[in-house]
Formats: sequence, structure tokens, C-alpha cells
Amino acid sequence: MSAADFDYDLIVIGGGPAGQAACLALKQRLGRVAVLDEQQRPGGQILRQPPVAFTVRNWLTGRDYRALQAQLKAFEALDGVTWLGGRSVLGVQPEGDGWRVLASDGAAVSGFTARRVLIATGCYDMTAPLPGWTLPGAMSAGAVQAFVKSQKLVPGRRIALAGAHPLQLLVAEQIIEAGGQVAVVAFTQTLTSALAKVFRHPRAVLSNLPRLLGVMMSAARMMRGGVPIRFGDRPVALLGDSEVTGLRLEASGDVACDTVAFCFGFLPQSDLTRAAGLDVGPGRVGGWVARHDDWMRSSRAGLYVAGETVGVKGAEAASAEGRIAGLGILLDAGRLTESEALIEAASPRRRRGRALAFSALLEDVGDPTAFTVLKPPADTIICRCEDVTLGAISQARNVASDPGAIKLATRCGMGPCQGRNCEHLLLQQLPGAADTQPGFRPRFPARPVRIGDFTA
Amino acid sequence: MRSGHDVVRGARLSVTIDGQMIEAFEGETLASAMLAAEQRAFRLDKQGRPRGLFCNMGVCSECLVDVVIGEGTSRRLRACITAVSDGMSVTTGSAT
Repeated sequence: MSAADFDYDLIVIGGGPAGQAACLALKQRLGRVAVLDEQQRPGGQILRQPPVAFTVRNWLTGRDYRALQAQLKAFEALDGVTWLGGRSVLGVQPEGDGWRVLASDGAAVSGFTARRVLIATGCYDMTAPLPGWTLPGAMSAGAVQAFVKSQKLVPGRRIALAGAHPLQLLVAEQIIEAGGQVAVVAFTQTLTSALAKVFRHPRAVLSNLPRLLGVMMSAARMMRGGVPIRFGDRPVALLGDSEVTGLRLEASGDVACDTVAFCFGFLPQSDLTRAAGLDVGPGRVGGWVARHDDWMRSSRAGLYVAGETVGVKGAEAASAEGRIAGLGILLDAGRLTESEALIEAASPRRRRGRALAFSALLEDVGDPTAFTVLKPPADTIICRCEDVTLGAISQARNVASDPGAIKLATRCGMGPCQGRNCEHLLLQQLPGAADTQPGFRPRFPARPVRIGDFTA
Repeated sequence: MRSGHDVVRGARLSVTIDGQMIEAFEGETLASAMLAAEQRAFRLDKQGRPRGLFCNMGVCSECLVDVVIGEGTSRRLRACITAVSDGMSVTTGSAT
């Protein structure tokens, strides 16, 4: 298959900050480029745009969104980039000296070929199991935020936030701005331990003072507005029979609410990277990060990785990595010499370094370990798709030791989410496993699709 | 509940959920229209217990529902990434 036979010179999977930045770095020096994304519009989760049919005033005007908004605008104005939104990528397979990307739009499956592919699929909320967490009304903080940002919908009458990640303060504020009610914001860590961790990163504190002050002021505003913010208060259970009616906290007791949003941090999306056989390593709080070199090349020629899929560290770092990946792709395609690429990469590399320092601070402060070391009761569901409990997994461990064998014995990880919500929870039960065990064998397709669509 | 300020939604349309007509707006996801109508159960688990939407980004498949669009056949789709269309007919409560 020669270059001309491919549909595209480059396919970017993911239209978030990393994917956008890669396209912007190309500056029309590559040829045909397409971007696939599960959402209808570009932006990624951080800038999940309202639908075209909505007119929204004052959309995400906060300081932290400014640079990202500018980048999104520049991306949307790019010539020569084909936007293929509303498509779930099912897999990336070798084709000649390039790749075939299979995607479903909900009605049909199509294949797109390209000489090179950049996987920039971002991350998703890390689950944390509790009794009652499968009740309707329990959701991830990212889920709530996406409703508020892009759909102008508050997904409950009274929302409780619980977790370890500082992001939940921002989510709470966005809920209130949208006219919603926040019952409580509960952090598992104590305020003292959180502050002690902040000051372990003095340089990141100094270079991010306005941002950190902004967080503190927003917390103060909420507390004045009557929203309780608790520290050292771990969630114990979600209450309710057929849907959430409350959240039980270890120190504060029962809080009435109809929605509970969990905010324990994020896992890298790794289904495509792992199914393509790329080298991966364990993520800091769980999951797998794709390994890469200085130009964001993965372990397989022609496949590149950037953004949260190589490690969760925020949109700024993701954007910088996307730039570097774009330049690496131009370098490999012979459109830039190494010295030209190095010169253009100097600025995004500096930006990435600064962003990593701040994300190290956030990671440290938002460390979910204080929660994840606790074992929920044995009848707590671990695998939501297949209703597999912690007790069933403990029992299976008597006869099976590796994740694949436990999956076969219990069906943990066999449902449509393919283990995205339970694989890290299972590995937490196998001490040291994340460093030594490969986890579940990734299966095609990465997203649920009707079998008949492959033969249509 | 839909947030009222700073937004003009798309055209009003209607969607049927388990035989009940609900109001929706062009541009909404099926998940949004269902939650706005207080329809919080999307599927049933293996013990027949209701499950709600969880991740809202296409990852977890907790919001799988059976959808018929126009004269088409029923498809099992993730409500969080499926846009509503006028006359769409949805059945909740299937086990995955």
C-alpha cells in the first residue's frame, strides 16, 4: 500500500487539547488530516462544547479556560483538517505500512486508513466502590461537569460531592452557577495533610499563585453561601432503595441528596493503546499509561500518543504534548529536519515542564490512597457491568491469582465497559499487581457495537 | 433540571420513553432529556435492580437503552452520546 492509497496522511483520535495542538503544529505541512472523536464537536472533556443547536452566553469564561478556548478556536478555523465527530473508535489495526482505524457512529461501522495515527484519547474518572454506588443518582464528578458545561443541565436537585481530588471544588461551583444545589463537598483527606502536601511543591505554588488563590476564594464563597466543605470525611455508603436518597459520611453522618458525584481523580484511556499492543506502564493511581519517546512516538512505528493517555496531568501538559507529537510526525514524514523540529519544540517542552510541576502538586494533594486502602463490605459490587462483588473476587483468589484467571472465574471485566471501571479495583486487591501483572487482555471492539454492523 | 440562564436551546421536540412522551430540545443528548424528565433508571442489572447513568462520556455503558429512530430497527445505544431526534422511541430496563 503506497502513501497515496491511504485515506489520510494522519488520523488523530481525540479532539481534545492534545489532538487540537497536534493539528495546529502541522501548519499545513503534512497533507490530509482527519480527527475522530466520540463527541459531535471538538473540545475534549475539558471544553465539552454545547451542541450547535444551543446558543450559550458566557460559556466557560474562567481564567483557566482562556488559553484552551483560544486553542479550540484556532483549531476550528484550521483548513485541511477533516472533522469526524460522533464516532466511537473501536480499534486501530495495522494495514500495509500504515493503520486502519475502525469506528462506529451508532448506525454503521466504517474504516479509515492512514499512514500515521495519533492516539490522544484523554482520561476518565476513576471509580471508587462503595455500598450503594450502583444506585441511579450515583455518578462521576466528570459526568456532572459535562452535563453542566455542554448541556446546561444540572443532573439532580441536590448534589453531594465526595472524593479526594481538588477538582470537586470547581465542579461544586459550576453546579451552583448553573442554579443547582450542593449538599456537601467532602474530602477524604484532612485539611492539614492537604496543605502540607501543597507546600511540598513551593515552586509550583509560586508560579500558580493566582490559580491557587482562586480555588481558595471559591471555597470561601461557597462556605459563605452555606455549602458545607468537609475534610477528613470519607464517604461510607450511598443510601436509597431504588435511587440515591442520601450519602453517609464517616464524620458528618447522613446527608440528604438525590445525586452523589465521586471525584477521586482520573485514569488514562488505555483501551486503544493496549489493544494495539503498545508498551504501557502502570499509571500513578491506577490504569495504564502509554510509553513514548521525546517526540511522543509509541513503541510501534507510525503510532503516536499524547495527552492524558500517556499520564494524567491536565490540559496544559496535554496541549504541549500534542504540539510535540505534531512536530514528531512532521519529522518522521520528512517535512522537518531534526534541528527545525527541535527549535519548534523548545517552547512546548518548556510549557510541558511547567505544567507537570503543577500537576505533580495536584496529584499529591488529590492522592486518593486514604480512601482506596479501605475495603468496602464483601457484598459491594466491584464490576458494575457483570454485578461481581468484592466477596466473589476474594473467593476466586483462592483458585486464581492473575487478573485474567479471576476474570474467567468471576466474569469481572467481561461486560461492555471491558474493565474500565473494575480492572484497577481488582488490581488493588492483588497487592503489587499493577507493577507485575498485565491486567485484562484488551479485546476488540473498544466500545459496544452491534455485530451485524461489521457485515453490513 | 435544565439551567435557564445564558442559554437558548434548540427546537422543541418530543421523545417517547417507555411509552411516555417527554419534551426535549434539539442538541440534547438522550441522557439529558431523560434526566430532565426525572427518568433516572436506564437499564437493569442482572438481579433486576435499576441502574443509572454513571460516566456521561461513553466509557461505562451504564446508560445503554433500546432506541428506535424513525422506521429503523431497535438499537442498543449509550444515551450519553446519542443525540435526541423528534419521534425517537426509547425503551429502558433491558439487562445488558
